[in-house]
Amino acid sequence: MLHIKCPHCGLRSQNEFSYGGDASVKRPELNKEVSDQDWDNFVYLRKSQRGKHLELWQHISGCRQWIKVERDTFTHEIFKTLKANEEV
Amino acid sequence: MAMQKYSVFSLIKNAFKGHKEWEVAWKDPTPKAEYDVIIIGGGGHGLATAYYLAKEHNISKVAIIEKGWIGGGNVGRNTTIIRSNYMHDENGLFSEFGMNLWRNMSLDLNFNVMFSPRGIINLAHSDAQMNAYSRRGNSMRLNGIDAVLLNREEVRKIIPMADFSENVRFPIFGGLMQPSAGTARHDAVAWGYARQADAMGVDIIQNCEVTGFDVSNGKILGIRTSKGDIKAKKIGLCVAGSTNILAEKLNMTLPIETHLLQACVSEPIKPILDNVVTFGAGHFYCSQSDKGEMVMGGDLDGYNSYAQRGNLPTLQHVLTEGIAMFPFLSKLKMLRTWGGIMDMSMDGSPIIDKTHIEGLYLNCGWCYGGFKATPASGWTFAHTIAQDRPHELNEGYSLNRFRTGHLIDEKGLGTKTWIS
Amino acid sequence: MSENFRIEKGGLINRNKKISFKFNGKKYFGFEGDTLASALIANGVHLVGRSFKYHRPRGFFGAGVDEPYAIVQMNRNNEVDPNVRATEQELFEGLEAKSVNCWPNVDFDIGAINNFLGKFFPAGFYYKTFMWPRSFWYKVYEPIIRKAAGFGAASIKHDKERYEHKYEYCDLLITGSGPSGLASAYAAAQNGAKVILAEDKSRFGGSLLTSEVTIGNQSGQEWAEKIISELKSMPNVIVKNRSQVFGYYDHNMLVMSERVSDHLPKTEKYIPKQRLWYIRAKEVIISSGSIERPLVFGNNDTPGVMLSSAAKEYLKIYGVLVGKKPLVFTNNDSGYETAIEFKKNGVDPIVLDTRKDPNSEIIKEAKQLNINIKSSYVVVTAKGYKKVKSADIAKISDDKKNLSNIENIQCDCICVSGFWTPTIHLASQSGNKTKFNDEIDAFIPSQSKQKETTLGSANGIFTLEETLKTSFEKGSELSKQITNKENNVSIPTVVEKKSSNHDKFWCVPLPEGKNYKRFLDFQNDVAVSDIQLALREGYRSIEHVKRYTTLGMATDQGRTSNLNGLQLVSDIENKVVPQVGHTTFRPPYSPVSIGAIVGREIGKHSKPTRKSPMHYWHEKNNAVFVDAGVWLRPRYYKQGNENLFEASKREAKNVRQNVGVCDVTTLGKIDIKGPDSAEFLNRVYTNAWLKLPVGKARYGVMLREDGIVMDDGTTTRISENHYHMTTTTAQAANVLSHLEYYLQLVWPELNVNVVSSTEQWAGAAIAGPKSREVLQKLFPDLNVSNEGLPFMGYMEGNLFGVNAKIYRISFSGELAYEVNVESDNGNYMWEKIMEIGKEFNIQPYGTEALSTLRIEMGHVAGSELDGRTIPYDNSLDGLVSKKKDFIGKRSLSKTAYIAPDRQKVVGVVPLDKKTSIPEGSYIVKDAKAKLPNPKLGHVSASCWSVEYDNPFSLAIIKDGKNMIGQKLFAMSPLKNKTIPVEIVSSHYVDPKGERVRS
Repeated sequence: MLHIKCPHCGLRSQNEFSYGGDASVKRPELNKEVSDQDWDNFVYLRKSQRGKHLELWQHISGCRQWIKVERDTFTHEIFKTLKANEEV
Repeated sequence: MAMQKYSVFSLIKNAFKGHKEWEVAWKDPTPKAEYDVIIIGGGGHGLATAYYLAKEHNISKVAIIEKGWIGGGNVGRNTTIIRSNYMHDENGLFSEFGMNLWRNMSLDLNFNVMFSPRGIINLAHSDAQMNAYSRRGNSMRLNGIDAVLLNREEVRKIIPMADFSENVRFPIFGGLMQPSAGTARHDAVAWGYARQADAMGVDIIQNCEVTGFDVSNGKILGIRTSKGDIKAKKIGLCVAGSTNILAEKLNMTLPIETHLLQACVSEPIKPILDNVVTFGAGHFYCSQSDKGEMVMGGDLDGYNSYAQRGNLPTLQHVLTEGIAMFPFLSKLKMLRTWGGIMDMSMDGSPIIDKTHIEGLYLNCGWCYGGFKATPASGWTFAHTIAQDRPHELNEGYSLNRFRTGHLIDEKGLGTKTWIS
Repeated sequence: MSENFRIEKGGLINRNKKISFKFNGKKYFGFEGDTLASALIANGVHLVGRSFKYHRPRGFFGAGVDEPYAIVQMNRNNEVDPNVRATEQELFEGLEAKSVNCWPNVDFDIGAINNFLGKFFPAGFYYKTFMWPRSFWYKVYEPIIRKAAGFGAASIKHDKERYEHKYEYCDLLITGSGPSGLASAYAAAQNGAKVILAEDKSRFGGSLLTSEVTIGNQSGQEWAEKIISELKSMPNVIVKNRSQVFGYYDHNMLVMSERVSDHLPKTEKYIPKQRLWYIRAKEVIISSGSIERPLVFGNNDTPGVMLSSAAKEYLKIYGVLVGKKPLVFTNNDSGYETAIEFKKNGVDPIVLDTRKDPNSEIIKEAKQLNINIKSSYVVVTAKGYKKVKSADIAKISDDKKNLSNIENIQCDCICVSGFWTPTIHLASQSGNKTKFNDEIDAFIPSQSKQKETTLGSANGIFTLEETLKTSFEKGSELSKQITNKENNVSIPTVVEKKSSNHDKFWCVPLPEGKNYKRFLDFQNDVAVSDIQLALREGYRSIEHVKRYTTLGMATDQGRTSNLNGLQLVSDIENKVVPQVGHTTFRPPYSPVSIGAIVGREIGKHSKPTRKSPMHYWHEKNNAVFVDAGVWLRPRYYKQGNENLFEASKREAKNVRQNVGVCDVTTLGKIDIKGPDSAEFLNRVYTNAWLKLPVGKARYGVMLREDGIVMDDGTTTRISENHYHMTTTTAQAANVLSHLEYYLQLVWPELNVNVVSSTEQWAGAAIAGPKSREVLQKLFPDLNVSNEGLPFMGYMEGNLFGVNAKIYRISFSGELAYEVNVESDNGNYMWEKIMEIGKEFNIQPYGTEALSTLRIEMGHVAGSELDGRTIPYDNSLDGLVSKKKDFIGKRSLSKTAYIAPDRQKVVGVVPLDKKTSIPEGSYIVKDAKAKLPNPKLGHVSASCWSVEYDNPFSLAIIKDGKNMIGQKLFAMSPLKNKTIPVEIVSSHYVDPKGERVRS
């Protein structure tokens, strides 16, 4: 079971969190023209590389904050965790 | 050279010669400079594709390029279930086509893949779920696929060891059964296809890693590998959980995420369960192998993973549902666990299609359903490569559907691939 | 015939306590402290089971977890345990066990015919035959194969045992209490570290219990006892026996199974059978020791052939001789220790040493004891079927290729030692890149991935002196880093005998003209010839070899066979072992009870059950409940002999005619506050929200970004910056996460807070033409007239002393109100409603009536909003704003979604107005069309319309809007039904929605 350091609460076991997928996905701005391709890329395309992966988790049984986790998808090593508004 | 035939007679004949005259099931060739078709990935789908290219399309100047050993991916690490109990027409008709290939596979390949139509039962634990299964079952029947709706008593007759007690959280209301579904010996499928493909001239090249692609003017020309560059007119990508790794080398991003699915077996016990059974109030499925092991699986580990190893809480969760379904499992011991990496697509259905690169074809997105699809996937992928257009069976499995909205979402869960 | 193999004295068993037990129906005696295996051997019983494939007789090969085949079925506490390793099961009074995989019994097993036909059953034979005719595999061949396989038979009775879980954190987890475990634990404990020391066996001490060494001025065993008792007295140390750490998972999470009661005749009340420990350790010390390797020769699976270390353990710990005419066959010095023990107990062993001219302290000692030692000698084959009776032995040439001087000598057991294999499973599980050590012909840990350190013989260190030194140092060093304390422990002096090098030779060649089976994997019957065949047939990767031959796939997971298998492949393929590779070890190290993994979440507790505050009222009033996710909701309230259909019809009718009340507590509720709340809702929902006045509610639909409907519900503006959102029961948690996602990650500039208030409120929906009258009496001071509280209005009131919130919203399509009070007052509210409503003929109604009411009104719900439909499919076009942007809007312009013949929800009525259409039926044009019959769509929900007294269904069909009036068929092949139907509007009752506004 992974051990994830919530930037708000500290080190917690993975079963307190729920996963949220690729954190690099950026939603197109509201009320702005967006091409079909850009929209579909946003909805359907994900980074899913082997190795370092920036992803979202929500501390759902804790502070309920969405956080960013930089994790190796092969070794599961966690390099850093960030608050929602922080960038790597 | 004619292939040595396997039969009870050849077995007896060889027994008296101390089994010294069995020939190799497949050779270990060095790669040629050029092929008509290269299939990347020596898993079940890749091997089947090569076989059907040779058998159905007379294309035998084919190489299979495998990074490790053939059959080492999901074809060698699944729970061996074969079924066509799908609701959506695209999935149902495709899988049922595959069922016919399964039924003939042992004789077709002259290799006993032990296809065993022992029936699959999906348990329902509410009327709402019975209705959902009716929707699925009726669709199957209208597609010409066998399906039976069982009530509680009918289920009890078939699997009395399920929890029919008072002390149950989600009582069994009934179930949907596909009697013709079943299991097969997973490794044998890979080996059977490999042996026949090899006999028809396909080069099976193991321990050969693809390191890059040669693309020029939007056309594929060949691959770079750890054993040198190889040219090819057409290349089929058939690497399941590793799809994104190779796609990256082609600067392609796909609607695919890689996730880990664990499974486990118990110690062998005497025969107790004949069917494949799935739990309706969670994610758990179970069958008993010919060795006597209870083969069990369930949920994804729930986060992107390329590690063929998982964590215990997921298994704990899966086995909790296992005991909820079959309380007797509590007394058994978990013997072996393993994990496979799944190419989860954004609507839960596969992709078998051409790509924007001429001569490059894509086969991926099998989620948990890759093993049963092996023959149909190989057959239709071979067709797509040979004819440069999809067969009507795999037309729905286009990459384009994410653009057009013709999605095939059996579970209705959308793009959150990790929620199963 | 039961001969006594127990020596007069010695061993660690309690000779004062005699224990009776039964094996295969026969009564025997043993002592407290015995295992089932040691007690059986003491009684001269060596035949315990049959092998998997050939059904060859099987006895004991090891003395613990190393045992590959002595598996029995046990009865304990009136429960069946199908597969128990006899070498690990401690003896208790009244133990009953029997052999497995044999019929009619272990002595005479019909299945043994396989042994004589063995030549036709080489590795993978089943892939080559049983193919013809096609159906025979499943119908004829496979059932026979299935029956022959498997070990114990499981009972289908529910397990009555109790299993528990425990979570622990520690500084150092130490796995194994041999010399390295004890020394490192002691050093770490002295530095104040929180230590957990886990020992798989019942006795602490590991190899110290059986070796002849001196530590300080004590014997190894005394020293172990002293250290353990000191550790037990320290508050910072947890010492656990019968506890196996079986899994090393990510981020230093390890899992241990503690066999709390397995050694007792029955489990005491409130005590678990087993306890599973999840341990998060800062550092892990793997001190799991090593397992002796077999030597491979003809018929080396015959009962009586066993590891020399096991023979020594039976003698030194249990006081049991495994034979009285022992042959010791060794390629290293370990065999001599066993021989010396035999000699000391008055039994004359013969030692066959594969080495030409071995010399060391221990060999000198053996010679001084006049032990018969034959150098450059090997066992060619064991003789005897159910027990070793003699052995063919031979001189072996210096190049180990040729045998000479073959002779037969009498013996009753053959103790083999092929040197030692470090137990690296946990290190490998942790991700350690293990490496092959040429000196010991085995893998040892190398590069750590996690915080683990392997010590002692598990790390390939076989001298006690070095083991203790490195273990004290490592325990001290690792703990010091955590505690910042250092209390130096002096390392005791060690007296031990020095060993000479082992012989790399391990597999005896076949003599000319002989074809003995030489086994590698004893349980699965994998012989040298099987590996040779696999390689000959091109299965050359070690993974192919394993899968083709089943080597190492048995319940012992190849503990005694893997390395020999690798060696054999490397010999034949002419590669070094590391090139052949080795398989990754995965948890569990040894099979773990599934009951223990699951713990207490069984039966009714397999998932939580949520109940509304009014649950017990429902129960008292004959509610029949239905599972709605983890909630229990009343489905209907049974009166007299009513069935579901009758009751729900009555309830629904009463709502249409009078007034009904429904428990809606389970709906998800989210409190939304902040100055930007309106803007936020405007982005979340498809319709417009900026102009909703205070005190008004609005129905809204929210989408996923892919355009699919995610959920629907009403949201009420309580005050300027405060909204109350409701969600469906099923989606409550998802919607909250969804809102938090957008607020925290996508639009952090919005000043809005959301929090779940589902548990805070109990809700009752009062619906029906008389509902206003009921409401008025509940709140006499309020103006609840159509003007005072219009449709979609909201007000607060006082319900007989408790605060209440009143929403005029309707799911039933009737004039209706939802009243919410704080959960604690829920039952009070409900009883008041029933009391007040009595004069208006109020009746409670359940989910079934609720469905009927919504279906005939054409209100879409979960069965239409099934994660595959867009708003247009559900006739919700009017709710999709053209002007503003919202989540998922951009996806609604996809080709498939705007196709002119896009699916849409419609109503379906059977032409005969009698036949109900089963949910899940399909609408087709031609009921007799050839399969696959093209479908127009499916029936999503069905009811008996109480308004018109005939069946009515909703369906989502292709080109729905142009199908109204068409005569088609509803087909349910599963129920053998083809029903001619007419397509009508989905709004079957009150299409203009006048009632809710009345």
